[in-house]
Amino acid sequence: MTPLIELRDVTKTFSGGTLGRERKVALERFSFAIDPDRPRVTAVVGESGSGKTTLARLLLGLLRPTEGEVRFDGRNLQRLSSAGRRDFRHRVQAIFQDPYEVYNPFYRVDHVLTTPVHKFRLARSAAEGRAQIEAALHAVGLQPDEILGRYPHQLSGGQRQRIMVARALLLRPRLIVADEPVSMVDASLRATILGSLRKLHEELGISILYITHDLATAYQVADTILVMYRAAVAEAGDVEAVVKSPQHPYTQLLVGSIPRVSTVRDWAVEQPQAEREISAAGCKFADRCPVAMARCLTSAPPLFQTAPHRAAACFLYENAPALPEGKVATVLVPA
Amino acid sequence: MNSSSPPLAQGNSGTVLRVEGLRVAYEHARGVVRAVDDVSFSLRPHERFGLAGESGSGKSTMALAILRMIKPPGHIDGGEVWLEDIALSTLTHDAIRRLRLAGVAMVPQGSMNSLNPVARIRDQIADAIADHGGNLSRRDLAARIRSLLGQVGLPPEIAEKYPHELSGGMKQRACIAIAICLRPKVIIADEPTSALDVVVQRQVMETLGRVQADLGAAVILVGHDMGLMAQFVDRLGIMYAGRLVEVAPIRDIITAPRHPYTRLLIDSLPSLEHKGGLRGIPGLAPLLRDLPPGCAFHPRCPRAEARCRDTKPAVRPMGPDATVACHLA
Repeated sequence: MTPLIELRDVTKTFSGGTLGRERKVALERFSFAIDPDRPRVTAVVGESGSGKTTLARLLLGLLRPTEGEVRFDGRNLQRLSSAGRRDFRHRVQAIFQDPYEVYNPFYRVDHVLTTPVHKFRLARSAAEGRAQIEAALHAVGLQPDEILGRYPHQLSGGQRQRIMVARALLLRPRLIVADEPVSMVDASLRATILGSLRKLHEELGISILYITHDLATAYQVADTILVMYRAAVAEAGDVEAVVKSPQHPYTQLLVGSIPRVSTVRDWAVEQPQAEREISAAGCKFADRCPVAMARCLTSAPPLFQTAPHRAAACFLYENAPALPEGKVATVLVPA
Repeated sequence: MNSSSPPLAQGNSGTVLRVEGLRVAYEHARGVVRAVDDVSFSLRPHERFGLAGESGSGKSTMALAILRMIKPPGHIDGGEVWLEDIALSTLTHDAIRRLRLAGVAMVPQGSMNSLNPVARIRDQIADAIADHGGNLSRRDLAARIRSLLGQVGLPPEIAEKYPHELSGGMKQRACIAIAICLRPKVIIADEPTSALDVVVQRQVMETLGRVQADLGAAVILVGHDMGLMAQFVDRLGIMYAGRLVEVAPIRDIITAPRHPYTRLLIDSLPSLEHKGGLRGIPGLAPLLRDLPPGCAFHPRCPRAEARCRDTKPAVRPMGPDATVACHLA
């Protein structure tokens, strides 16, 4: 099987500070693959700086890896022919956080829908193109006559974001990378937008990478999950297992930090940890970890495969077999 | 945040802030837009009161109106806000200015991005103290800044830093330090954690709760996250289309909401317990300049009846602590 898209041992560093002397590792020796034959909704969850947006931008070809390579259909993304690039642009679609920024305010919203129809010659006639656009809008719960002919400012953020989903749908891609698609829309509308993404997956077999800091929506939408912490995977696997019984202390902290609608006030506070000397080779979570052991301060744990469908990068699980380097995708399987 | 705030004062006499029939209008080319429509509630000392609703429900406008910070084309066109026994509408511009921070302080929405990027945190706190009438010697000022930073859980060296050197959570704590520098009786926090990760959100809310307890202040928390409300506030008000459609102690709101909108708002929060819990609220929030007749919520309400379409429901008391504006409650 050739993965649809694959990151092979990718490291991405950004330089900053005076004369670019400060280097920040945004993603560290990361490998990941999307199987074209088994489409899934995979959530990538982490706090700001965890590397989740860098991952999205690498997958979309918007960033070049510092080391390693990104491959589309078996070919290096940075060295695609123009036909290969065109195919990539067709098969991999993006939905971004800000539904205000992606529109040109001088064009009617129709523009974002008619352009792909022309560019990728999706229709044989204008009428057929129009019919496809209307069907796509219906599929995401919008009424074409309330949308077409309007300018972006005349629509709500939720409507604009749903048009982006309709645009992705029009192209029948193999993969949609959705980077925080609902963080700027009202809670009451989130459900509708995430619901239409989920529907695209179920009805058309489109793989979706849902990148978010919100574990609760990730749980609702995804089959499998990758929890990122400071440029690497902390825990991965079946979403039900990871959210219901998190194994990595960071995932436990994340789950415990979500305020629940409950009369029980169980919103526990993270206890600050005593200052510890942690070497650069140590576990990245050791400074905040309530159960850190001596060895965590000096060496970083690999991912241990604690069950067929899950793995955690924590020495608490060292009795489980270590997952071979670069094989995190093997546990991204629904239980 | 296991402990809730200190016990509430008994009876109606113990009121620190009282909002009575407050109305805010915006002049618009197509007529008057009513952003806050006849809102009344009161706040006891030490109480944590939440104001929740969708965007455009008027909750942020409400927060600004309490401080008389509505800017043209908006204006307050009715009602009164009492801080203890002072009617705020009777105060001069200067008196209101002094009252902000000293009486009622605000942590505005996105305030962590409102810090001056070219001034050290120390100078921004000092400015706030000086600007609102605090007069301290250099040495007292330095000690005061150190103690304020300590209160919000920041080390003293933060005083010398510029905003870009701080993380989001640290900036938000610095904003809380500025808000409490003159020991206000009421702190209004407008979505104080909306841009922060859950872990940091919890730390900032814990800081806000601790600071409030230290000062003995009351808090109004404005937001849309019902989980945050459930974990933090004592009483919750729900806003819809500029009206306060329900107020009740948080426990009652969660277990038995009286307004159908409150129910939908609670259910729209994605659950971590069971899948299939992704439910939106049908329809869209109405445009304030074009409200439906009767109850503004009726086009989206699953229980709407004929009377909901033509009669606007009055706000009715439901016991000492609660009100509701719904024909069916």
